[in-house]
Amino acid sequence: MEQHSIPSTKVERAMRFVKTGAQIGGNYIKHYSKKMVDPSISKDRLHEDNAEDVYNALSELKGSALKVAQMLSMEKNVLPRAYTNKFALAQYSAPPLSGPLIVQTFVKQFGKTPQQIFDTFNMQSTRAASIGQVHEATKDGQKLAIKIQYPGVAESIKSDLKMVKPIAFRLIGLSEKEFEKYIIEVESKLLEETNYNLELQRSQEISMLCKHIPNVEFTKYYPEYSSNKVLVMDWLNGEHMEEFLKTNPSQETRNKIGQAMWDFYDMQVHEQKAVHADPHPGNFLMNANGTLGIIDFGCVKEIPEDFYYNYFALLVPEILKSDEIVNRIMIQQQIVSDKDDKRTQDVITDAFIRMTTLLSKPFATDEFDFSNNDYIDSIYALGEEVTNMKELRESKEGRGSQHALYINRTYFGIYSILNVLGAKVKTGQRNWKQTLMDYHLKTKA
Amino acid sequence: MSNDLIKQYINHTLEHNKTPESVYLFAKAVGMDEKEFYNHYSSLESLEADIYRIWFENAFSACADSAPWTDYSSREKVLAIFFAYIEEAKNYRSFAVYLKDRDLVKLPRWPKYLNELHTVFTEKMKPILSEGINSNEIQERKYLDEKYVGGLWLNFLFVFAFWLNDNSKSFEKTDESIERSVNLAFDLMGKSALDAALDFGKFLFQNR
Repeated sequence: MEQHSIPSTKVERAMRFVKTGAQIGGNYIKHYSKKMVDPSISKDRLHEDNAEDVYNALSELKGSALKVAQMLSMEKNVLPRAYTNKFALAQYSAPPLSGPLIVQTFVKQFGKTPQQIFDTFNMQSTRAASIGQVHEATKDGQKLAIKIQYPGVAESIKSDLKMVKPIAFRLIGLSEKEFEKYIIEVESKLLEETNYNLELQRSQEISMLCKHIPNVEFTKYYPEYSSNKVLVMDWLNGEHMEEFLKTNPSQETRNKIGQAMWDFYDMQVHEQKAVHADPHPGNFLMNANGTLGIIDFGCVKEIPEDFYYNYFALLVPEILKSDEIVNRIMIQQQIVSDKDDKRTQDVITDAFIRMTTLLSKPFATDEFDFSNNDYIDSIYALGEEVTNMKELRESKEGRGSQHALYINRTYFGIYSILNVLGAKVKTGQRNWKQTLMDYHLKTKA
Repeated sequence: MSNDLIKQYINHTLEHNKTPESVYLFAKAVGMDEKEFYNHYSSLESLEADIYRIWFENAFSACADSAPWTDYSSREKVLAIFFAYIEEAKNYRSFAVYLKDRDLVKLPRWPKYLNELHTVFTEKMKPILSEGINSNEIQERKYLDEKYVGGLWLNFLFVFAFWLNDNSKSFEKTDESIERSVNLAFDLMGKSALDAALDFGKFLFQNR
């Protein structure tokens, strides 16, 4: 669907968000007035109304705002399900670039039109990427995918992020300090995504390291036709998850794909300490023969060593048993601080441990069945409970390491994809816990 | 030959940071008889006007020769021409910026050196607009549709002026301004609330 008007100036975009803010306010009034008449009405309806308005506002924006919508959709631990379902849609629709602008982009970068470079070039984009769009082309009999970035994305990121602020406060209930802390991380990652040269380099590194993982497919890039605004790669076959599931794949195929995805992430997290941090369904292509194609390496999160040791330690049951180590990690990770009183420290630590224990469930067994909705639902439920905790809400401190933002997002992304896919995955094949146990027990002594 | 003359004129202007003061001085500087100059142009102004016309002719033929041209809608044709014009003008941006500063342009008035360009622009845009009317991309409106081409010309001047002041990296902002302003122009020319408003106005007028 071609969108006719994109709110273009900063003021217009700001207005858009203000309007949304007002609508959300209205939804709350609607909710509470309905509730006075009928006390049994749940908050679900309210959340859906809100998500709809926010989604409508965001979907009229391009670039970073759309990306932030994606981010929010991944932060399932803090967002009620009603929101995230709506945001999931944001991954597929963006207003397309006009044909002449595509030609112009090529002329600027390569001095030639796409028709002069390739044997065929489809002017209609086939897939939308968050900050660009994908076109189909052929050269010498090879089918290619060509990703073209929207102009001016990098420049609009900063102003867009500022305008997402009121929504972030309302929706996720972040405090000013937390927001500042995260936004720096998010901004730097988003700016990295606009650099296609960097993406090219990273995709080559990661596919090199992961190419021996069974059933994972990477694409070949063509640096000679790529620039910071254009990326050219071989076309990967496969369908996005939603369409793929409509073909009713067998349980065996689902498991195979799920396993490929799990292994791919295990390898990156524990070996490479850098991870494809954008696991939304639009970045994966699934095939009937059980292979998983991975596209879009725009967002790669490097995991700092000390963060790795502390974050993943909390997923090891043996380490959780020691109060002393747990306390040290909580302070190191800035989840509790010395300034908190003892009771607040205890309450927050307890909530955090409950959350982590629940989240690390797949790690605790050799095999885990992600198709179980109860598991995902219990994560949402606990997430909402934690967000609404008085101690956290009233806290002025920004809690949690900023690195955790992308790592959490990555794991929630993987879990929810595996859940929708309905895959049963062997999760305990890699022995990474021992290293962490050695590390922490040694530090303790 | 007139192309060489144009190059010399532009170089002369840029190197002296000043346009030549008379045909005599310019002809002398490039080692040519004044009489010879008049075989090509009647005055320095007509030479300047020709520069902008030639850019447009080049941009137009670059578009019309490219593969997707015939598949383009009117909107896309106009977009393509605008993009190509800026691309063409980029070769002599310093010169264009110099002339802008010399003549202190204030839209919607335009300096004399754009007169020729205005003529070709109108001539080339009219068929594209009628094409759009035939394909229902553009709404036919009595009296008003004669103003369409004038509106596009103002749109063009706006984009050109925007580019002359654009400081963004590889003129990305200009690309955006073209995309957005042309889309707006075509949304206005297409069937829209405007028609309902006109219709309503007519009704009120007739039923006073």
